[in-house]
Amino acid sequence: MSEGRVIDRRAFVVAATGLGASAVAHAVTVGPLGAQQQPAANFAPMEQGAYRPTLRPDKPGATAKLSVDERDALEHRIKCQCGCILDVYTCRTTDFSCQVSPAMHRDVLRLVSGGYDAQEILDAFVQTFGEVALTEPKKEGFNWAGYFAPSVAIATGAVVITMLLRKRGAEARVLAESRAAHSPGSGVAAPGMSTDDLARLDRAMREDA
Amino acid sequence: MILVGELSLWIALLMCVWSVTLSYAGGAMRRADLIASGERGLYAGFGFIVLASAGLWTALITSDFSLRYVASFTSANLPFVYKVSAFWGGQAGSMLFWCLILAGYSALATWSNRRRVRELMPWVTGTSALVLLFFIATTAIASNPFERLDWVPADGRGLNPQLQNPAMAIHPPMLYLGYVATAVPFAFAIAALVARRLDAEWLGAVRRWALVSWVFLTLGIVLGMWWAYVELGWGGYWMWDPVENASLLPWLTGTAFLHSIMIQEKRGMLRKWNVTLVVATFMLSVLGTFITRSGVIQSVHSFAQSAVGNWFAAFLILALVATIWLVSVRLKDLEAQAQLEAMISREAAFLYNNLVLVGIAFSVLWGTLFPIISEAVRGSKITVGESFFNSVNVPLGLLLLALTGIGPLIAWRKASVGNIQRQFAGPAAFGLITGAALFVLGIHKLYPLMTWTLSAFVTGTILQEFWKGVGARRKMYGENPVVALGRLVARNRRRYGGYVVHAGIVMLFAAFAGMAFKLEYDITLADGASYSAKDPYGRQWTFTNEGLSEFKALNREVVAIALRPTIDGRALPVITSEKRQHVDSRGSPTFQPSTEVGILVRNDMDVYVVLAGVVQKKAEIRVNFNPLVVWVWRGGVIMALGGLIVMWPQSEKRRRQGGYVAELAPAAEVATA
Repeated sequence: MSEGRVIDRRAFVVAATGLGASAVAHAVTVGPLGAQQQPAANFAPMEQGAYRPTLRPDKPGATAKLSVDERDALEHRIKCQCGCILDVYTCRTTDFSCQVSPAMHRDVLRLVSGGYDAQEILDAFVQTFGEVALTEPKKEGFNWAGYFAPSVAIATGAVVITMLLRKRGAEARVLAESRAAHSPGSGVAAPGMSTDDLARLDRAMREDA
Repeated sequence: MILVGELSLWIALLMCVWSVTLSYAGGAMRRADLIASGERGLYAGFGFIVLASAGLWTALITSDFSLRYVASFTSANLPFVYKVSAFWGGQAGSMLFWCLILAGYSALATWSNRRRVRELMPWVTGTSALVLLFFIATTAIASNPFERLDWVPADGRGLNPQLQNPAMAIHPPMLYLGYVATAVPFAFAIAALVARRLDAEWLGAVRRWALVSWVFLTLGIVLGMWWAYVELGWGGYWMWDPVENASLLPWLTGTAFLHSIMIQEKRGMLRKWNVTLVVATFMLSVLGTFITRSGVIQSVHSFAQSAVGNWFAAFLILALVATIWLVSVRLKDLEAQAQLEAMISREAAFLYNNLVLVGIAFSVLWGTLFPIISEAVRGSKITVGESFFNSVNVPLGLLLLALTGIGPLIAWRKASVGNIQRQFAGPAAFGLITGAALFVLGIHKLYPLMTWTLSAFVTGTILQEFWKGVGARRKMYGENPVVALGRLVARNRRRYGGYVVHAGIVMLFAAFAGMAFKLEYDITLADGASYSAKDPYGRQWTFTNEGLSEFKALNREVVAIALRPTIDGRALPVITSEKRQHVDSRGSPTFQPSTEVGILVRNDMDVYVVLAGVVQKKAEIRVNFNPLVVWVWRGGVIMALGGLIVMWPQSEKRRRQGGYVAELAPAAEVATA
């Protein structure tokens, strides 16, 4: 069985942003479409070798600045690098077969006892593993798009719907008044306007809308 | 049988080619003989897929390890039920399972409409067969479960221990039944666009299939949550994993469609929007499959990376482009027959409901794909975790909960001040009093307090609707309350089934809020030692280690701990948690050790025990107090039950007798939900 290659992330973005033809071509060139896949396990295997030490010298006269609860809360913000998608605290307290999260936990303990605060410890892990060490993106630069795009999209949708409803509501009121004024027995006839004229006006207003 | 299975897969592919060609040609040329032949091709395709599936099942049950798939996902000592469920335990088998469901649905949709919507059917059959053709081709060429090994191993690798769970035997089929059912409304939408028949007939055909999809997706998602909770051992049921998100996306847009379709039925509006939602729901189902199978996004329980992702990417792009083109050339046929008239109306409430549902879908999709986008733009990997999704979606969820109560109480077209006062006074008062009482009782966290206040409000609206309906029947027909309630629901299934769904939603939200108060303790206990801890309600618990035990089971070696809990001095049943090492029939380890959590289920909270490991004969345990979790499962069941009530067939005559058909005047306060 030939081993299938995978479409990479950049290629997917290209595809997802609408460059359909290039993506199809890419999908074809990345690997033969007829290639067989590996026997597909349902769970990503742990990368037990993914651990890399995050060590810093103790600060002079170092004392721990974080309580045990604060340290545990901090570990909820650091992602285990074993291939799971859990944070260090949850991974190390869930499954002892992971060797990465206990090692990362030991580094956290050393940094805490070395006098480092939460932000400094997070920064140290980012230096070691990159931003992927955090369970959520830093609130800076392009990441703001991640945080705000959904809210902006929904707010825009809400404004559009509200404006639409207001506009249509006003049109409906005008039409209703017009119909009431010109209905038989209303006693108020529009000078020079027949029923057909009113129907045409109605249609025109709808088309304008 | 294996040879028959493999041959059947290829013949099914040919049948689909036949069906697509003849159905589209028959539709274009208006030739009944071609159309009938295309339909028979689809039925035959279904028959051959059944044969192919029977072939794989036979190989799995008889442990025919000459097949790579069987050797990769089963072992001789695997319990029978998991040999059966191994059919969807791996990529290739689950692809065939997709084909089986899709072929079954397509054949059923064609057969059930053999005397209806005949103008649409050639296009429905052709499109269904085209989608099926893609899935069969992908299975046969890129992910064939009938691939043979060069040699026959003595035993197989076994099924992943985390899949050896009753929930996993039924969760994937439920989810697939939901995912795949979205293909039928999609086929009808394409057919309606091609045939220019976007009328009530189209809606009627689509609505039932959308409900089928929604009910199965609901069950599949809740079962998946249950499986994650009892099997993965991290203490929760939803972690915004990409695969979880993939299942939520079509559910959200499908829910939006089931609301917006009512506006088209009643007012002839939102035609473009409804077609868009049908197409989006199907596309998101395929996207979810792509995410699960391509490996482009890291997930704890996705299939391995494979070339199948390329096929799905290509299919998604082609289907999207074709559908956008088709919609764009039919825009004139999708013009609304009426207009929205007022800000305060049922239509407006449904529009905002749709905005929130689609907004949540967008934010979930955005959060799921953002690591890829960020890597493409900045070149560095990031993780988008639970806190990101919660920060965006919790406020939106609360807004949705509020609309769940508001929507059904507002009249169609335009609500009067009197209408609003009469309808909202009771439920609003109930909600506010509940919120105030909870605040006085010490609930000061904002989101849980808001959730429970709104839950009380929505509960009030639901009870009020049932109360009024039963009262009206008692007055009109002199029925006793139980009979009146039964007949009220039976004769207004869509309306009151909808309220049952809303009751399930309320239960879910109230349970979600409970997790804001969860507590967790890391404990190290020697045999006979005890540990005391307080639960979120302030009660004192003591856990005593009654001892570690080691034993062998059918296909695993087990280390188990027995914890004896007491609450305020009162003894409760023993909780056991296990560490398992699965082995093959020769006793060799097959997978990494897995954890079997122990859960004491109570109405107010679960006590969730995880044996993380044993160090120097001391048990390392995590104990979680998880408030209100059982109500998540109950809420899910009630939602599905409500969905079944809504979709249960009802004659038009009965519906009218039940007062279902809504008036469109402002006075129509009894309009349908």
